Amino acid sequence: MASRVSGRRDTLLLSACVALSIVTLVLPQTVRDPIAAAMRRSVVAPLLSLQYNAELTRRAWEARERTRAERDSVVLAAMTAPELERENGRLRRMLGLGRRLRWGFVPAEALFSRSPGEEYTVVLSAGSRAGVRPFSPVVAPEGLVGMVKMVDPTMSIAIVWPHPDFRVSAQSADGSAFGIVAAHLGDEPDRYLLEMRGVPLRTSLTPGTLIVSSGLGGVYPRGIPIGVVQRELRTSEVWANTYLLRPAVLPADVSTVMILHPQRAGAGVNGVWELANPDSLAADSTRRADSVARARADTARPRPARPAAARVDTVRPRAPAPARADTGRRDTVRRQAPVRRDTAPARRDTAPVRRDTARRDTVARDTAAPVVPVTPAPPAPRPDTVRRDTTPPSP
Amino acid sequence: MKGIDLLRITIAFGLLLVLHYTLRPLLAWRSSPDFLVIALLLVSIRVRPGSAAVVGFITGLIADSISIDGLGAGALAMSVVAFGASWLKAVFFADNLPLIAFFIFLGKWALDIMYHAASGNLGGGELAMQLLVWSPLAAAVTALFGLIVLALLRPILRTSPA
Repeated sequence: MASRVSGRRDTLLLSACVALSIVTLVLPQTVRDPIAAAMRRSVVAPLLSLQYNAELTRRAWEARERTRAERDSVVLAAMTAPELERENGRLRRMLGLGRRLRWGFVPAEALFSRSPGEEYTVVLSAGSRAGVRPFSPVVAPEGLVGMVKMVDPTMSIAIVWPHPDFRVSAQSADGSAFGIVAAHLGDEPDRYLLEMRGVPLRTSLTPGTLIVSSGLGGVYPRGIPIGVVQRELRTSEVWANTYLLRPAVLPADVSTVMILHPQRAGAGVNGVWELANPDSLAADSTRRADSVARARADTARPRPARPAAARVDTVRPRAPAPARADTGRRDTVRRQAPVRRDTAPARRDTAPVRRDTARRDTVARDTAAPVVPVTPAPPAPRPDTVRRDTTPPSP
Repeated sequence: MKGIDLLRITIAFGLLLVLHYTLRPLLAWRSSPDFLVIALLLVSIRVRPGSAAVVGFITGLIADSISIDGLGAGALAMSVVAFGASWLKAVFFADNLPLIAFFIFLGKWALDIMYHAASGNLGGGELAMQLLVWSPLAAAVTALFGLIVLALLRPILRTSPA
């Protein structure tokens, strides 16, 4: 009896709960909202506060994680920034070197081989299709890197200066001493130094003296920095001195190089590398090679408006053409340029230099020898190009 | 039920209520554990079906007051689930963990089905997705957490000898 009563009571309670729930469900929104709001402000308020604080905690945790991730990203970027800066500086120096060389070179990526026996060779990403030939000099903004040994159509292999076969005829920057520079085959870490052999006893090189290529031998043009004298080496030679050199180019820093065409090597590289002060060679190279800064300065500098008649000096060829048998005369282009007579005096006013002397100074005699010697033909007297001082006075 | 047992079950219910409004927002899972269902089932198997229905109704109203729509849907669903759980307590009274987990799983799933059917806030494919995918997942997670909670609250939930 008691269980039946309690069972009926349970059913009644369930029915009441269900009925109340359905009534609550079907109530209009305007009635339900105040009821829910009243509950939220009273009974449910502590629970809502708990939920709100938990949400705040979760957002704070997420914000912390996000901040930490951002901080890690910034740290990572800061770690890679110096490397990028170095690479950027090197590429800018390469641009500067290309600007100074002007013609006759091929830029190439240098990939060092890590296999045993090939530590001192480098694979270059330019080959015979780009004009690379065996024995082409490989240079960097800091100086001499090596020489091309083998050439394929799309790539080539070069030896760098630590290679045992590397030799270059060298001289001091002031031309007081000559010798042969080769790799110093000592133990580590001296292995990555050079030595200059065969320096006559009568000449002494002081530490810090810049050594450059002498141009003898026909492979390397004169004036490429090779290294700086560190000290004299004690050898068994009696009639000659040997000096230890600190190389101008570190192989670890070489990632991009310039390969000089044979014509360019033959024409010389005077003025491409600054040879005045060996201690400031690197800094000077950086300064001079900063092509971006140079271009910016050129852009910012106001250029005076020149009359069209004063553009005579721009007739010069942008790049000297390879020596040809029939056009080997250096003044051919100047003579053929359509210079008007009335513009010539203006040019003389701005540049009081004799034309024949200026031409002679621009090309070194020992490097600019044409392939085929040509006897210059006497210029035909043309009334519009005859210099005034050579015109005979009229009777 | 003795007074001490009532106090114990009230403490356990309160703890689970607090967990529902603190741990659940912290986890913020798509299928979060429903500590209200665990608390309701714990109470339901210890009281008469009518009392369980009332507790379910009140708990449902509390849950509904926080949600935007469907005031009364949770109350209806929890009343029915609590009454059914209390009525079936003889079946699930055994101290068998897998059976208790299945009990919680069924309770949570049935609650979701009734809640969404009563509130009508979902429809079509969305309702099917909710009832056939997310609700079972939430029920499974709730069952897992229910087992953990039961293991932790076992000293409190032990009934005193008659």
